[in-house]
Amino acid sequence: MIDTLLLPFQYEYMLKAIFVSSLVGAVCAFLSCFITLKGWSLMGDALSHSVVPGVAVAYQLDWPFAAGAFVTGLLAAVGMGFVKAKTRLREDAVIGVVFTSFFALGLLLISLFPARVDLRSIVFGNILGISDPDILQVIIISVVTLIVLGLKWNDLRLFCFDPNQARALGINTTVLHYTLLTLLSATAVAALQTVGACLVVAMLVTPGATAYLLTDRFGPMIGIAVSMGVGSSLAGAYASYFFDGSTGGCIVTLQSALFVIALVFGPKHGLLAARARRRAIPAT
Amino acid sequence: MNTPSATIDLRVNNVTVGYPNGNIALQDATFHLDAGCICALVGVNGSGKSTLFKAIMGFVKPIRGEVLIAGEPVRAALKRNLVAYVPQSEEVDWSFPVSVWDVVLMGRYGYMNFLRISGAEDRRIALESLERVGMAEFRERQIGELSGGQRKRVFLARALAQRSRVILLDEPFTGVDVQTEGTIINLLRELRSAGHIILVSTHNLGSVPEFCDQVVLVNRTVLAFGPTAEIYTEANLSRAFGGTLRHFRFDESTVQKHDGRNVTVLTDEERPLVFGKGGHLEYGQRAGHERVVEQRAEPDDEP
Repeated sequence: MIDTLLLPFQYEYMLKAIFVSSLVGAVCAFLSCFITLKGWSLMGDALSHSVVPGVAVAYQLDWPFAAGAFVTGLLAAVGMGFVKAKTRLREDAVIGVVFTSFFALGLLLISLFPARVDLRSIVFGNILGISDPDILQVIIISVVTLIVLGLKWNDLRLFCFDPNQARALGINTTVLHYTLLTLLSATAVAALQTVGACLVVAMLVTPGATAYLLTDRFGPMIGIAVSMGVGSSLAGAYASYFFDGSTGGCIVTLQSALFVIALVFGPKHGLLAARARRRAIPAT
Repeated sequence: MNTPSATIDLRVNNVTVGYPNGNIALQDATFHLDAGCICALVGVNGSGKSTLFKAIMGFVKPIRGEVLIAGEPVRAALKRNLVAYVPQSEEVDWSFPVSVWDVVLMGRYGYMNFLRISGAEDRRIALESLERVGMAEFRERQIGELSGGQRKRVFLARALAQRSRVILLDEPFTGVDVQTEGTIINLLRELRSAGHIILVSTHNLGSVPEFCDQVVLVNRTVLAFGPTAEIYTEANLSRAFGGTLRHFRFDESTVQKHDGRNVTVLTDEERPLVFGKGGHLEYGQRAGHERVVEQRAEPDDEP
């Protein structure tokens, strides 16, 4: 029995997958607190799809995939900002148009040069087959993101909560805006390796959203989100060995299950607690 | 430099603000305020009142003209923590996971280091500010758990913690109980005595003469500015509001002479603004306005 449970740890590729998934899970979860509070969830989805053409081109030219992804991710972000500022379109329409354009271009490029990159591994992730240079890129992105968030989380929290106060204090909010956007693109690239372009947004939103249902404090919110991100990534990657199923699918399904539990049983904001409070109100 | 003894002034010189779509929100706005005043910024919605606020805070850049605070451009003044801002309640996300204490400490960020780690001095000033608005015992609460008046006091405490010489308040009395309104007004008077410049944007016309000594009337530009008694007149307000205000004229009403002065006026949340016979301002409370009562007393009138 124990031998069976320890079986995944005998394979180097499983150990790598579990390590990379947890690292990405932690970074995405930390960032997800800011993304959900800022209301940028849709932006996360858009950026994670917009990096695809960059990845395709980077593989084609033998560049580091992160470099290419990063360029198209930021291009998309700037493009969205430009279209929104210059037209009367609402933000959701702008995001919808821009990110699908990038994603479509990515699909087209991949289909034109199928030998170099595998469509499935970009769209659905291929953590079990991740190469060592790719692992190095994920580690660099994660460490840089964690350092920036660790140093500037107070400013970023203020920026999410009350940007006007940040400006009144003489803090440059444009810099904060692009810092958060850059971190979002970078982590989207890292998460792409683990769960694929389609599910990146789950890693970037679900932990923060779940933690938000469970607490009214910022510190605990980060703690809950990161524990959940790491735990679900560890368990998901480990479990996928036995299911022989998609690693990304396992991780995100676990996260969704935790979200539903928080939604129903959350001590203060959960559905059951809300119902109990309604019941407690005496009939008038 | 940022000490109460240093005098300060606010100068808005010929400020014109336009938006990317080409609309001009504010044209050639000019006014100035000296240390130790409470000034009301009065105008209808869309009059450019909030644009003027944003220009003073440096959130929008004027096409022409300049805003000088203590003789410096806005950006430099903000860096020196000269300006604090109390937002409108509607602008705040009350479900955001921050406590009262977190919010007040945000007023101290400008004094903290790169990491924004609060020092003993920051915490002392934050606590003192909370005590001043009577909210110290609520410091562990999440901000959404507070009443409308308490919420406003927390943000006022944040402005106090910032130790700024210029304080801007956007609609400070909306959704606030009468008791908190009194607390806020008393606090603003204390700040005025200490030489601060308080600028209050409000549509609550009735409360303006109660506590503001200066008025700036806005309608696409600054129509008039100066002492309340001189500027806050029926004629000027009609210009500022262009007939959008509801009038109740006693001489045209069904109120009869033999009813004496026994008329009850009720309004929704806002204080009524009442002008006397000759167009002078009437106050709700006699206290503090004894001189005014004396001046207008007629022989057969009760003292």
